[in-house]
Amino acid sequence: MRRKAEEIGINMTPMIDVVFQLIIFFITTIDLQNKDMDIRLQMALAPHGKPVEAKDPRTIHVDVDAQGRISILNQRLTLAVLRTYLKKAVAEYGQNLPVVIRGDIRTQHDAIRAVMDVCAEAGLYTVRFGAIKEAARPGGG
Amino acid sequence: MARERKRPDLSPADLPMTPMIDVVFQLLIYFLVTIRPIDVFTHLEVARPSPEAQRERLEVPKNLLRINIFKEGFALLDRPVSYEELDRQLTRAAELDKKQSVLIMVSSYSEHAQLIQVLDLCAKLGLTNLSVISTN
Repeated sequence: MRRKAEEIGINMTPMIDVVFQLIIFFITTIDLQNKDMDIRLQMALAPHGKPVEAKDPRTIHVDVDAQGRISILNQRLTLAVLRTYLKKAVAEYGQNLPVVIRGDIRTQHDAIRAVMDVCAEAGLYTVRFGAIKEAARPGGG
Repeated sequence: MARERKRPDLSPADLPMTPMIDVVFQLLIYFLVTIRPIDVFTHLEVARPSPEAQRERLEVPKNLLRINIFKEGFALLDRPVSYEELDRQLTRAAELDKKQSVLIMVSSYSEHAQLIQVLDLCAKLGLTNLSVISTN
């Protein structure tokens, strides 16, 4: 009886530690896609828009802040660099490459237009505008 | 002798942990599988006609709804309208034909939020044939 209890006594703690680490790792990395955006952007609300369904890994998110500065993956770009970047992307992935423009609500249309023009130059005639579907509702109201 | 000394130390750990850990893992797996993040983001798709197509399109204004966005407000077919009025008019148009072409002409000085507002309205009414043109 006593011997049996000793045989079962494998040290489970390290294994459980490792499993918890793995779980925490997967939970935190599962939604990294939305973390690549400029956090200072205040995006407009579009409660009726369709939710983003199939997430295409090729999608390019172009952020335009309130001052009209352009960035991709938090990396500030000039229009010329954006043009080169998009042309290269189109050459690699084709013209149905999804482009999402995420503009701040205060951005003047001029800046958005410049980005759309660059997209059109690269052969991307369909663009998408990113917006927020559901605002954080304080107090669940 | 050594065993005799060890036993009192072990006794508090005699509680069987394995079933509890099993249950915790089951719960974790259940929540990981069933969790569905809220759809926070939305994408509003528009066509950006190339300059050549733009000219053609402007020449053939057949069944075309033209919405202007200015810094000061909106206009539908050159008539200034409030957002609520635009909503009403577009609802009526969408009831007739959802495939109807909508041309959104955006002034350079308007704010991006206004464009999103109009695109959201179109998404609500199911109008999908949208084009965005920038004006000065």
